[in-house]
Amino acid sequence: MKRLVALLGLMLCVAAAQAHIASNGFLTAAVNGRDVKGAIELAVRDVELAVGVDVNRDGKVTWGELRASGPQLALYVRQHLALSTQGQDCQVSFEPLQINDRVDGSYAWLPYAAVCPMIINKLNIRYTLMDEIDPSHRGLLTLSAGDVVQTGVLGGTRMLSSFAVDTPSHWATFIEYLEAGIWHIWSGIDHLLFLLSLLLPAVLLRSGGHWQPVTHARPALISILKVVTAFTLAHSITLTLAALDIVRLPSRLTESVIAASIIVAALNNIFPIVTDSRARIAFAFGLLHGFGFASVLSDMGLPQGARVLSLLAFNLGIECGQLAVVLVVMPVVYALREGNCYRRAIMPWGSAAIASLALVWLLQRAFLLPV
Amino acid sequence: MSCAQAAPYTPGSDDQVLAVLPAGARHTSGPNLELTRSRLDIALPLAQFYISRSRATGDLRFLGYAEAMLAPWMKQVPVPSQVLVLHATILQSRHSFDAALAELDRALAQRADDPQAWLTRATVLRVLGRYDEALLSCQKLAVAADPAVTTLCVQGVMGLQGHLQSAYAAIVALPQQALPPEARAWRYSELGEMAERLGDDGSAEHWLREGLQTAPDDFYMRTACADLLLRHGRAAETVGLLTGYESLEPMLLRLAIAQRGINDSVESNAVAQLSDAFNIEQQRGDAVHRREQARFLLDVDPHPREALAAAEQNWQVQREPEDVLVLLRAAQAAQQPQAAAPAIEFLKLRGLEDARLNSYLKGKG
Repeated sequence: MKRLVALLGLMLCVAAAQAHIASNGFLTAAVNGRDVKGAIELAVRDVELAVGVDVNRDGKVTWGELRASGPQLALYVRQHLALSTQGQDCQVSFEPLQINDRVDGSYAWLPYAAVCPMIINKLNIRYTLMDEIDPSHRGLLTLSAGDVVQTGVLGGTRMLSSFAVDTPSHWATFIEYLEAGIWHIWSGIDHLLFLLSLLLPAVLLRSGGHWQPVTHARPALISILKVVTAFTLAHSITLTLAALDIVRLPSRLTESVIAASIIVAALNNIFPIVTDSRARIAFAFGLLHGFGFASVLSDMGLPQGARVLSLLAFNLGIECGQLAVVLVVMPVVYALREGNCYRRAIMPWGSAAIASLALVWLLQRAFLLPV
Repeated sequence: MSCAQAAPYTPGSDDQVLAVLPAGARHTSGPNLELTRSRLDIALPLAQFYISRSRATGDLRFLGYAEAMLAPWMKQVPVPSQVLVLHATILQSRHSFDAALAELDRALAQRADDPQAWLTRATVLRVLGRYDEALLSCQKLAVAADPAVTTLCVQGVMGLQGHLQSAYAAIVALPQQALPPEARAWRYSELGEMAERLGDDGSAEHWLREGLQTAPDDFYMRTACADLLLRHGRAAETVGLLTGYESLEPMLLRLAIAQRGINDSVESNAVAQLSDAFNIEQQRGDAVHRREQARFLLDVDPHPREALAAAEQNWQVQREPEDVLVLLRAAQAAQQPQAAAPAIEFLKLRGLEDARLNSYLKGKG
């Protein structure tokens, strides 16, 4: 009877639906390829319970106290929150702590960046924050991948939760890799300079030890077509071999040889050795440039289930980007071909400039010199 | 959802206070924690302390701390019956009524005459609208509990089963001194609710105000009183009644409704706070404030269709007269009269009398 009286008070408010909200952590995760970025937020009150922040025991948690507990908090979060994909942990690093105010008080806002060992198709989250202190704590997850956003609830009796990261449609993948290909050829100026070195003399003919402008467009077009086709064919072969992991070359070697290839192609314009079959140079060195493209692709990764499609799209992107440059540059070059300026200045000095730039690259890449 | 908008900042000063810790919400060191795992006589009072803190402050986190005290003991075979009863209390406070009933049945299998378990069971069944079973549980109290407590329990349920007038008279006749102090507020809130259902709002207000003098922190009575005032358009008095209780969502909700009645505008702050809290709860899958959410969507931030969805979800969780009312109102607001059918059938089947519902149903017809 005594116990009833002691407890009775608890029962009487049963019908009253009142309370502050329960304890929540807020986890955001933006997935992009192998990377995850976001923040974990825990109420300052919960941080006190988890790691003991109120060092001076005055019943108040100040920013100074919280900041001083930053390392313990990071350690606690590391022990109780882990991201993985296909059974392999992602490497998480934290950025400086901040504060976010929410309806039920201030939250410690801890931004993080994680790198997973492979492209994330399914993100596994182990969430045991607060589990022994407040079993009703839940992690409210907002997971985004591109434009697709999903929410989830973490913690409770389920320590491990899995979220399928919506693999983008084939079309979206295709566009993504196509863009990456175009972007790579435009930003990777070394490939363009190599091509340009081979194309500068395409509007000229070598006869009797001198350069002469072509009389009509046809031979120039044929020459351009041969060079571009040979380059494309060659780098497509090695790009495919490398991307599918059939052949691998150390990147230091390929990058160095790519730089060397530019020097060779540029010098050949000043001291011509190969004059009528530049397509062969294009093909031979194109094989190496393909390995260069592949290194970009291996950074991005090929999505499971769409490997061939994305490889094709990336390659097509490279060809589009390359073709766009050819279409802009070659009409100008063709128009300039008759003037002395082109043969005496633009071609030799332009080639010399390209060769010197490539020499710098070669030294940097081969001997790992600082830029 | 505004809670997704994070605007983090770095405080300008190390002295800026980020949180004031409520009593009992401190970091516990290893050895102390170990004691609660090895000694039931330490874990149980601590769990009770946290539950009563939750009740006194309306802070749901305390229920979690109480649960943490019980967690190691829940793994024992068999689980001590006191642990089961306290766990049921936590589940009940979270509106996990079916789970609470399961725990109580486990406890009663061990100790068939545990009055606490029977009382909690009666209360849960009553909230679920299972009056016959609730009555049986109340009657089991007679063996071990105070006769006045048994009367309160039995008459409370009878009053919902077509015997409102006689039940009201029986509880009025129950002398306040006959009840243990903790049960006195219960008597007042029961009387207030019954008078309101009888259509005697004057008496209802009298009982609730008197009850609030005895137990100012009884949230149930305070919200009941606020609802009564709001029903009569006494918005300014409602504001006076609820000021100082804004941190509690049910109070804030009624405050927002009152403000709307006064100047036809609600502080956007209150709207944001309420909708944030409801959204977070929805995402967690909790159902503690579904009834409030439905009222919010009816009276503060009108979205009739969403209000009906919330009222229907609430109906799956609890079936008190208030829940009938909110479902009827939501169905009407959403212009889907057929959605009210479960509530109307419930009224017929149980013989529930409620002047608020009658006038509403009449007004509707």
